[in-house]
Amino acid sequence: MTDQHCKQIFAMLSEYLDGELPVKNCRELERHLKGCRPCIAYLESLKTTVEACRRYKAPRAPALSKQVKAALLAAVRKVISTDLSE
Amino acid sequence: MNSQVEQALANLKSGKLEDVEQALETLQEVVYGFGMKVCGVREDAEDTAQETLIRLARQLKEFPDARALAVWLYKVAKTQCLMSRRKSKFAPAQILSLDALMPKESGAAAPAVKSWEITPEEIVLNKELRSKLEDAVLALPKPYRLVLILRDMEQLDTREVAEVMGISEETTKMRLHRARVFLRNALAGYVRRAEMPGARAHD
Repeated sequence: MTDQHCKQIFAMLSEYLDGELPVKNCRELERHLKGCRPCIAYLESLKTTVEACRRYKAPRAPALSKQVKAALLAAVRKVISTDLSE
Repeated sequence: MNSQVEQALANLKSGKLEDVEQALETLQEVVYGFGMKVCGVREDAEDTAQETLIRLARQLKEFPDARALAVWLYKVAKTQCLMSRRKSKFAPAQILSLDALMPKESGAAAPAVKSWEITPEEIVLNKELRSKLEDAVLALPKPYRLVLILRDMEQLDTREVAEVMGISEETTKMRLHRARVFLRNALAGYVRRAEMPGARAHD
């Protein structure tokens, strides 16, 4: 296994994880993985990173002020009533 | 597609006061969360959510489906974030080179690989990891940060991210991969991977 090949594989790992890699490249990558433990390990660590991002939840939003809420509701009502009258 | 956005659009279009209120709260949560991830500053995230919702209320008729709404919502929120008044303490603007991010040792595994000992299924975002993840995301140059947040945190698909960003799908994938590798390197030692059966990284 050459470093150059690992480098080519490295560039394809995200597309592979997302199921967006063309079939031909997918086969090449899987063939490479069978013989390259470091690349398997890197793929796993990248997968874990993506999973950490998916599980991350931002802090909750503070409540909208009464003024903003009233303005938003009025604007939405206006759009909806225009819609109904058309 | 974000199911919250789907539900919110249905509620907005029902016209019932309680449904509309519910929809606005849901969308505020979505946009505020996005703003926090991108800007890292509470006030900027609040401004982003407020401005985006005000524009949304005026343009409600333009959304035939949840996908259109989600793309519009993130596009407007992204613009608001980029115009944010308060400068985040991280604001790098360099290009991430894949060569520079790639492990230096033979094989893609890289030096830190021995410490990745938790499987994706086992990840629990404890306080320390949350904070490390937030810092790493904010340390990404904005074009990469936005793509990563939209794809991996907001969970839009590649085409939707490309639309929001106004870039090609190829560029989206390239930025996403570099951003993920950057993050993976930054988190090495905090998130660890399971040892593959029989696998052993190069020392």
